[in-house]
Amino acid sequence: MYIEVNGQQTFVATGGKTFDARLPTVVLLHGSGLDHRCWALQARWFAFHGFSVFAPDLPGHSLSQGEALTSIEAMGAWLVDALDAAGIEQVHLMGHSQGFLMALEAAPILGDRLLSMMALATAAAIPVNPALIDTAKQNTSKAADMMLQWGFGSNHQYGISAVPGMQPIGIGQRIMANNPLAVDLQACNQYQAGNERAQALRCPVHLVLAKQDRMTPVREGLKLAKLLGISPTVIPNTGHMLPIEAPKESLQTMKSFIQTLN
Amino acid sequence: MSRSSYLGDDTIALHSGYQPESDHGSRAVPIYQTTSYVFDSVDDASALFNVERGGHIYSRITNPTIAVLEQRLAALEGGSGAICTASGMSALFVTFFSLCSAGDHIVSAAQIYGSTVTLLKHTLKRFDIDCTFVAINDAEALENAIQDNTKLVFCESIGNPGLEASDLPMISSIAHQHGIPLVVDATFATPYLCKPIQHGADVVVHSVTKWIGGHGVAVGGAVIDGGNFDWLASGRFPTLTEPYAPFHGMNFWEEFGPSALAMRIRCESMRDIGAAMSPQNAFLLLQGIETLNLRMQQHVENAKSLITWLQEQDAVAWVNHPDLDHNPSQAVAAALFPKGAGSMLSFGVNGGREAGAAFIDALQLSSNLANVGDSRTLVLHPGSTTHSRLNEDELAAAGISGDLIRVSVGIESIKDIKSDFANGLRAAAKTAEKLAQQG
Repeated sequence: MYIEVNGQQTFVATGGKTFDARLPTVVLLHGSGLDHRCWALQARWFAFHGFSVFAPDLPGHSLSQGEALTSIEAMGAWLVDALDAAGIEQVHLMGHSQGFLMALEAAPILGDRLLSMMALATAAAIPVNPALIDTAKQNTSKAADMMLQWGFGSNHQYGISAVPGMQPIGIGQRIMANNPLAVDLQACNQYQAGNERAQALRCPVHLVLAKQDRMTPVREGLKLAKLLGISPTVIPNTGHMLPIEAPKESLQTMKSFIQTLN
Repeated sequence: MSRSSYLGDDTIALHSGYQPESDHGSRAVPIYQTTSYVFDSVDDASALFNVERGGHIYSRITNPTIAVLEQRLAALEGGSGAICTASGMSALFVTFFSLCSAGDHIVSAAQIYGSTVTLLKHTLKRFDIDCTFVAINDAEALENAIQDNTKLVFCESIGNPGLEASDLPMISSIAHQHGIPLVVDATFATPYLCKPIQHGADVVVHSVTKWIGGHGVAVGGAVIDGGNFDWLASGRFPTLTEPYAPFHGMNFWEEFGPSALAMRIRCESMRDIGAAMSPQNAFLLLQGIETLNLRMQQHVENAKSLITWLQEQDAVAWVNHPDLDHNPSQAVAAALFPKGAGSMLSFGVNGGREAGAAFIDALQLSSNLANVGDSRTLVLHPGSTTHSRLNEDELAAAGISGDLIRVSVGIESIKDIKSDFANGLRAAAKTAEKLAQQG
């Protein structure tokens, strides 16, 4: 569906069902340079199992209009504006990589509206190599290649796919190469408030890490888990592109977590 | 550059799409000779049917062995996904069927495989899908042929059997200016010689029966979704950008983006038409693809040697191959096929069709049959066989003269191929002499 957020047409994937703000809402937040399609399978499960799904493309990404937001803080504030525009009261936030940082920034604004939070393949801070940012500024496609070669785990480098016949690296490359990757990476690199925001969380939180993650290494995720006082789920044979690489395993953890809340 | 793997082509051909940690450590890709797959639970079955998770339901739609071949082909071509089908013709049909509806129009190269002409000119016509055939490298003719209802431009990377290399950058540029995709049948080149997506193609189709399989033992086809075409911005593709009722209003573009076409073919064509590849064939084709690069090197090397030799023979009237200076697409071939423009060649012998028939009938090593891309050398008279359903005008437009002999050069020892052809040329010369004496 398309909604207007701050005067801009914004695309929000709803998992193949009409959005119903009366249902419990699962918000799925994509990572740097990506879009709602990294949640294609998980979104459909939630939408057909009693939830409403709200998976936006950030401004300037894929199907959404506007200029890309230049800070994680701005992304968090924008998310709350988007939820307000859709008339959504309470939410479960689930974020991949940058998407989790954005959720951290939305959390204090949402207050009691935030029912739970799930973090996938992420950490409290995501420093980015300046060389990658510079490459993304000059040649997004080349930077996308660097990220995908680094970001997907070993199985996917060998052409394995959770969806028969598809090539997730090829799909990711097409999406990232056409999105404002440099802006996203710079926003991640500059973000410093992750630990503080995480410590302030008062809702149930769970963390899913990828064993082969080389962009937000497991050790950084484990630090975040310790800070939050939780025991994370670590998925083997999977890299940073966790929602795409292991949709079945990540969904299993996502739905188990959210079902325990009910 | 659009990529879908960071491995080298030789490695992709051997490894992509399969890792042996499951399947009991089997190093070779196992043959899943099964129609169906046990579900973990009713909820699991429901999730699979509703595309909430990936996996296999029924082998008409997906199969683990076939999926390896699909993923390997997508990686080799640099696509976002691939669908394998029962044959190259079914790959073409499901592509056209997924992009076009009644009232739509296709612009196609005139120099294409005879059965594809029949599909475009007669079969699709029954569904009110029209086709205009053009000299595909004529930019003005192409531009003029595109209509408001045109849904795609189609060509073969190397036309069969006229052997004209298609100027893919020029053709795709014109197609894209009109908001329509370029679909390329790349059977004659294989991704070893040319990757059409890198030159602007949006969809690549193969008869994998040919060089990709390479051994003449299994029929199959493939559609590779390039993943670069913006179906929504085009505004011409409701099959991809509007809700699809049978899947609860699924919008393929919104949900799958770069793999929208592949997913539409999977969800609709494979289910409703059922032109599925068999797992056994997928296994045989995988054996072929593992040595594709090595075989193509030998195919091309033999073709170059045979062309040179044929040009030196008195009995030969003419020789055609995209790499030859007199071929009108030689410059295009040099730019797009730097390793050589394939192992298909055509030639005519003095004495015309009758002498040509004598040539073919005298061959022993080479086989007279209706196939190309076998590891063995194959010959055929297209005017009497594959293109026999075309009228004289259509034959001329397709670049087929009455004396044309089509050769798919194999990977045998080149001296033996030349020896066999020398026998054939002696028989042809005798026939030509008799014809001359008869006046």
